[in-house]
Amino acid sequence: MTEASTHHIRFTLNGSEVSADVKANDTLLNVLREQLGYTGTKRGCETGECGACTVLVDGKAVNACLILAPKVDGRAIQTIEGLAKGAELHPLQKAFIEEGALQCGFCGPGMLMSAKALLDEIPNPTEDQVRRGISGNICRCTGYAKIVKAIMKASRQMARVGGEGA
Amino acid sequence: MSPVIGQRLPRHDAVLQVTGRSLYGEDIKMPGMLYCKVRRAGIPHARLIEVDTSAAEAIPGVMGVVTAKDVPFNAFGFTHLDQPVMAQDKIRYEGDAIAGVAATSLEVADQAAKAIKIKYEELPAVFDPLEAMKPDAPKVHKDNIPTHFTVVHGDIEKGFAEADKIIEERYTTQFVEHVHIEPHAQLAYYDPTGRLTVWTTVQRPFLVASDLGKVLKMPLSKIRVLTPCIGGGFGGKNEMTTEAIVALLSMKTGRPVKLVFTREEEFTATTVRHPYVMFYKTGVKMDGTITAREVKIISDAGAYVSWGESTLTKALVHAAGPYRIPNVRIEAYLVYTNNNIGGAMRGFGVPQAGYAYECHTDSVARAIGMDPMEFRMKNCVVSGDTLPTGQTLQNATLDEILKKLSSMSGWKVAGGDGR
Repeated sequence: MTEASTHHIRFTLNGSEVSADVKANDTLLNVLREQLGYTGTKRGCETGECGACTVLVDGKAVNACLILAPKVDGRAIQTIEGLAKGAELHPLQKAFIEEGALQCGFCGPGMLMSAKALLDEIPNPTEDQVRRGISGNICRCTGYAKIVKAIMKASRQMARVGGEGA
Repeated sequence: MSPVIGQRLPRHDAVLQVTGRSLYGEDIKMPGMLYCKVRRAGIPHARLIEVDTSAAEAIPGVMGVVTAKDVPFNAFGFTHLDQPVMAQDKIRYEGDAIAGVAATSLEVADQAAKAIKIKYEELPAVFDPLEAMKPDAPKVHKDNIPTHFTVVHGDIEKGFAEADKIIEERYTTQFVEHVHIEPHAQLAYYDPTGRLTVWTTVQRPFLVASDLGKVLKMPLSKIRVLTPCIGGGFGGKNEMTTEAIVALLSMKTGRPVKLVFTREEEFTATTVRHPYVMFYKTGVKMDGTITAREVKIISDAGAYVSWGESTLTKALVHAAGPYRIPNVRIEAYLVYTNNNIGGAMRGFGVPQAGYAYECHTDSVARAIGMDPMEFRMKNCVVSGDTLPTGQTLQNATLDEILKKLSSMSGWKVAGGDGR
């Protein structure tokens, strides 16, 4: 078996500087989960279909299973572990809890990160925009209605406190 | 006011879920853990001649390989002991496990699983349960019909003789994969004291423990099966899959061993909803009275029975539908094919039957020019009625539900079929 070349990369992870030695064929998902112990980001299909591994790279929602780790060198990564500010939950997290937007919860981290990317770009989305914003995330439990409701609710609450919480 | 009943309460683990701290199957790790890959058959039907693992074992980083020879008792199943942990002398579907590999990395395990040589003689395969019922069909097991049920109520011949019209139809349903977003994940550790601990993404840990005890010939007091948070199941995580392989690898290597299914394995080597073929024949009078119903259900079990018998019995008791029918005959067959194994899935056999009898009910109503809702209201079971299985109903409310549905949906009972 030919060994893939190793790369030393540095990036910010939820605001903190991290570095890792990664193979050229390592995915960001593998580095997060296996090397750095950030298991909040889920592995569902490894083909970019389910969205369970959604993280933010420089603010944009991406499938961590489809991006090679060397590509994130020098960039800013946000994962579900960084969504709350300490014990203070993000409005999206609060709304997901209040609306019962999760059942098994496995799609939750990816769903929440997609929702965050959406609200960062469009603070007051229409329902249609919300549905489009999470169209890359599959949920097999809820039927999406409560997820959409929770995202709309979070957007209203964030608007009320002047966009704080982003 | 009750602090619980009638209150809208958040899930007890909601905060863990939204912060990514819930631990699911793949999130569990142990120090010194090895990675497992399972070599699957990849062909639907064959006589298995030899499994050569020497090339796999020679790969640096491979710590252990197991095959059927390593399984103390190589058969399990909820109602029928027809499924091997790993194929012994026969391959019955593409997802059959042939061998398990434990290695120091997933890449090496994958490479080793591919390096295993399988010598086999391919057999003609059968994928259609109706074909599989024929006497000259390829035999998946000794007999392709592992179970058959009949329900008889009243006099079916007399019922059809009394009918003004007889409506016959055939309904089929398809395979459905559960597609829980979390794949199956298993971690086994056989510790130095001889205790086996298995973390596995199942909905029935005690069934898995009992099956593990049987196939490994270990007392249950030495087996612990633990379930982490399950990332969706829907019936797809209802039975043992490869836990015994992972356990055997841990016993062989003395190390914790972890296996996570690929999405491809989820589609090719786990259970699906049974496809059903359903023949419905109903006798009806022009005034809407149902005189007789005959139903034949053929369930495609796939390669092993698994939950096939239990789902079929559930379909069987629902098959006539919630209608007053004095003369009923239902026959239900479970049939082996070389397809994916059918298992539990939401509704457990009932959705297949429900789809057929409700569509058929519409057809029967139309055949006599009656509004389908009016036809249902005329025939729906009420308290005191006895079902074909002999169960007498208490507190039946279907008539009230139908009335409410009609008014809520704006269905005009008097004016045709409302379409």
